[in-house]
Parts: sequence; C-alpha cells; structure tokens
Amino acid sequence: MNELPRLSTGISGLDPILGGGLVEGASYIIQGHPGAGKTIFANQVAFGNLSRRGKVLYVTLLAETHDRLFQSLGTLEFFDKAHLGISITYVSVFQTLRDEGLSAVVSLIRQEITRQEATLLVFDGLLSARDRADTQLDVKTFVAEVQSQAAFVGCTVLFLTSTRIAEDSPEHTMVDGVIELHNELVGVRSVRRLQVRKSRGSAALGGYHQFEITSAGITAYPRMEAMLAPMVAADDHSAPPPLSSGTEGLDRLMGGGLPRSSVTLMFGPSGCGKTAMGLNFLSKANKEEPALHFGFYETPARLQAKARALGVDLEKPLGSGALEVIWNPMTENLLDKLGHRLLDAIRRRGVKRLVIDGLGGFERAAVHPPRLVEFFAALMNEIRRLGVTTIATWELRDLFGPTVAAPGSEISSLLDNLVMLRHVEINSQYKRTISVLKVRDSAYEPIIREVAFGPQGIAVSTPLEAVTGAATGVATPSRD
Amino acid sequence: MPLIVIAEDEFLIADVLAIMLEDAGYEVAAASHGKAALALVREKRPSLVITDFMMPLMTGLELAQAMRRDGELTHIPIILVSGAQGSIGRAHPDVFDAVLDKPYNEKKLIAAVKALLTEPG
Repeated sequence: MNELPRLSTGISGLDPILGGGLVEGASYIIQGHPGAGKTIFANQVAFGNLSRRGKVLYVTLLAETHDRLFQSLGTLEFFDKAHLGISITYVSVFQTLRDEGLSAVVSLIRQEITRQEATLLVFDGLLSARDRADTQLDVKTFVAEVQSQAAFVGCTVLFLTSTRIAEDSPEHTMVDGVIELHNELVGVRSVRRLQVRKSRGSAALGGYHQFEITSAGITAYPRMEAMLAPMVAADDHSAPPPLSSGTEGLDRLMGGGLPRSSVTLMFGPSGCGKTAMGLNFLSKANKEEPALHFGFYETPARLQAKARALGVDLEKPLGSGALEVIWNPMTENLLDKLGHRLLDAIRRRGVKRLVIDGLGGFERAAVHPPRLVEFFAALMNEIRRLGVTTIATWELRDLFGPTVAAPGSEISSLLDNLVMLRHVEINSQYKRTISVLKVRDSAYEPIIREVAFGPQGIAVSTPLEAVTGAATGVATPSRD
Repeated sequence: MPLIVIAEDEFLIADVLAIMLEDAGYEVAAASHGKAALALVREKRPSLVITDFMMPLMTGLELAQAMRRDGELTHIPIILVSGAQGSIGRAHPDVFDAVLDKPYNEKKLIAAVKALLTEPG
C-alpha cells in the first residue's frame, strides 16, 4: 500500500482531520460564506508552507486590494511581510480575466507557477471565475487545466470560493478534496465548524470539527469520538495494587483504593465534599505520579484557599511541579477544545492522578448534547489508555429529593466506579454521607457512612445510624 | 501632455491611479502585469513609469531592470509604489528614481511625478 506524500497544513489539529495533511500536488476547494475563515485558512497554509522552504503563488480575482488583505493578515502571528514578493507572491488576474478570458488566466497561472517554482497555488475567487464562464464546461475546463498544470510540477492547489459548490458540480467532481468552513449561530452563540466533504486518497475524519480563529490563526479541534475511535484501551490483567484516594477511610470503603486507570464518579449536591475529596487525591501527587486538577468552578487561588482551610497541602506538590491546576472558566467553551486541552495536559506531564471538577463543565460546552455519550466514551477510554486514575465530580441539582439522577444512564455506565455523597436530614440534623455504588472488578463495602470534617480534613467515618431513605436525603428512622 | 505608463495588476488601484493622474493633467496607459507594461513602454515611449512590485509574469523590479538594460528606455524615470516591498525597492536606487509606500498618497505621488518630469533630463 502506498502512502501519498503529504503537505502539512500548518494548522493545529487539521492534519489528523485530513488523514495526515494535504496530498502533495492535489487540488482542493475551500468553500464557505464570507467571514467563514477561508482567507485565513489559505494564508496560514501558505505561510506554514514557507517555513518548510516551499514557495507560494497566491492568485486573486477579488475586489479587495492586496494591501487591505495584508493589513488584516498583519493582525495574525503567522503573517510575516518579509516573505512578500520573495517566497510568497500575491498577484491579481482580474484584469486578465476581464480583458482576455479564462484561458488567458490559465496560461498566466501556468507561466507563474513555473516562474515562481511554486509548491502551493492559492486561487482566491473561484466564484468570479464561474460568473465569467459562459458554460459549466468552461469552469470545468478551467479547474481541470489549472490543477493538471499544477500537478505536473507537484504544486498543491487551493481554490477558495464563497459559494457552496454542489456535489454533482463539475468542480466538485474534478478536485481531490473539498473542505467546507461554517460559522453558525447555535442559540445565541456562534460556533465555527469545518467539514471535509470530499477527500480522495485519504481517510479523513468525517462530520463536523470545531475550530476557532485567534491571533494565532485557525486552530481545529478534531471531534474527539471520531479521532480516538480506533484507539481501544488494552485490558490490563496484571491488576496492579489500587491507588490511594488520600481520604481517610475511603480506600477501605472502595475495597482497597481506586483501581488504577479507572474513572470514579463522585456525585452529590453542592457542599457535600466532592471537591475536598478531589483535593485529598491530588495532595498525594509526587514525581512518579504527577497530578492534574482540571476544573471549571474554582480559580486556582480559590482552590488553594479551600485546600488550606481543609488542611490539605497543595503548596508542596504545586511548588515541585507534581501538581498542575488548569481552570476553565464556565464561559463560552468548545467541547472538543476542552477535551484536547485535557489530553494534551495529561500527555505533556505524564499525569497519573486526575481530578475533573466536574463533568458538568463539559456538558455545558456541548452545542450538540446528544453526542456527549460518544464524547465521554472516547475521552474516558483515552484517559484509561494513558494509565491515568481519575476522579470526576458531578453535581446533583437537588440538595434533597427522592430522585437521584446520575449524569445520564449511558454516561454512568462508561464510568468504572460510582461514589455517592449526600446531605441527609435525620432528626433535624444534617449529616454528610458517602456510599459506594460500584467499583470495577472489586468488592466494596455496601454501607452508607458518615463524612466527617475534622482538623485532618475530610474523612470517611462511622456507618450512618439505621435509617431508610438516606439515599434520597430525607431519612426516617428504621423500624426494627 | 506627458504620458505615464502604469504597471499594476490590481484593477481597483490601477483605475484610481489612472483617474488621479489624468486629473493632474497627464495621459495614462495601464498594463496589468510587468511583461505587458514592458511592451507598452517599448511601444509608447512614456515620460514616466509607475509600477507595483508584485505582479504576474514580471515583477516591478524585473520591469525596471529590463528598462535600465535597454539603451532606449534606460532614461525613463521609474517610481515604485509598494505595500511591503519598499525596502527591496530602496535597495535598488540604481533602478528606481523614487520609492513610495502603499497605500497611495495622492499629494506625495503627484509631487514625485512632477519633480521627476521637471528634472533636467
């Protein structure tokens, strides 16, 4: 089987979506409405190509002047005007098209590719070429001639157009790939997504992938469940000893500790001790077992203050680099951006102890909530595969109530261990309780215990007095 | 009426530039790339050439160098107007009589044109 030679796009996250990058000497249509990001896309690929000693010919049919284009590109980090006119050349062929027609444009492009020894040709304004063409056949011939001339010398081509080219159109048929950029309103927010609609010779990741445009240009976030699908965690039968939770009494409750490379969901209402148990788990971090707090609610400073109040020492592991705190404010987030940020942080430091506080932060970032099950399945599998032991928290909406809703039955079943924390009212007193509902491949104590806050921090204490209904938070004394 | 040849691939700029120069009392002929401009210069023998840098088939620098090599064209003053390659132009004082930066400044351009056209040849 032959591997096609590839041209990296230079756009973070895009190469895996394209199955390894653009195919050298192939031609692509980049389509999207005005403002979708086509120009930034093409220029980022162009400047990325320059850093690998490529040469770029950028041909426009646009009304906008190149000077205006450079002004707006000047706000982006990848743009370097020192290359202009030397390794990247912008030329307008509008007058040639107007005065002499498409065939003259083809001839001019052919001469320019050779003259510039271009490895990448960007043709911005296929729409104008279509307007000018007298028949569909003309455009087909135009696209075919430009791409065959470019392919002859191994030059990759990007045709940019602001119209959506139909799948049965000649242009769509001719080119090797079609990448569509969208900028859509979802509720009150806008979300940028891209889709590879055609990809000849490459197993591209289908469907939508979120991307954003910042001063660094475009960053694409491959859809987690699409990218990680083939990676299945190998079952570890060697059963290494479990990892200590760091909370007194909890290891015993869970049958010895947290099974390694497992995901534990700690769920309960606000104030019942989820974050505190997470902090205990992280305080055990050391060089061999680096830890990460990936949170949404507390700033790093608030988290440290909370730890101090609980008597948990985070200063030492933070100071030694054994612990990292990443705070993701609950503003407009992108689900896959969060997922990639988490995985990158795990891989970067070889994290072994992870606290996600909490899964609700991911849920809020989902613009298409039905995919959360697949998203979490992919994310959790990858986290396990990387040998990370995880505590994830989930906040129950009701402080008290007869219904105990874990995060969707499908999501709960993706998690290895379930630990429930509750406030229970007994005889006009509130008690914090903890109980284990599930531990992967291990026996555990099926007893509801009290949670105590003492000078040594949070700890699992004695079994709760005999009541019924503790799991709902409203208990009545058991009748003997 | 002195004739000025404009070499500029971007039609919007070429059009505005032509109007600007015509309003100032010059005759204008425009070409959309360096090669066409060189042919136009050979044919029309203008009093002055205003050229862009990045153009298809022949850059403004190549156009100017070709004119300087041609005994019959070498005396024609050339102004380079460029967005980003002004420094390349300024590095070649032997081929350009003036280098102006884009965006166009009408007063500066007309002043440069007048100065070059009134200079004793």
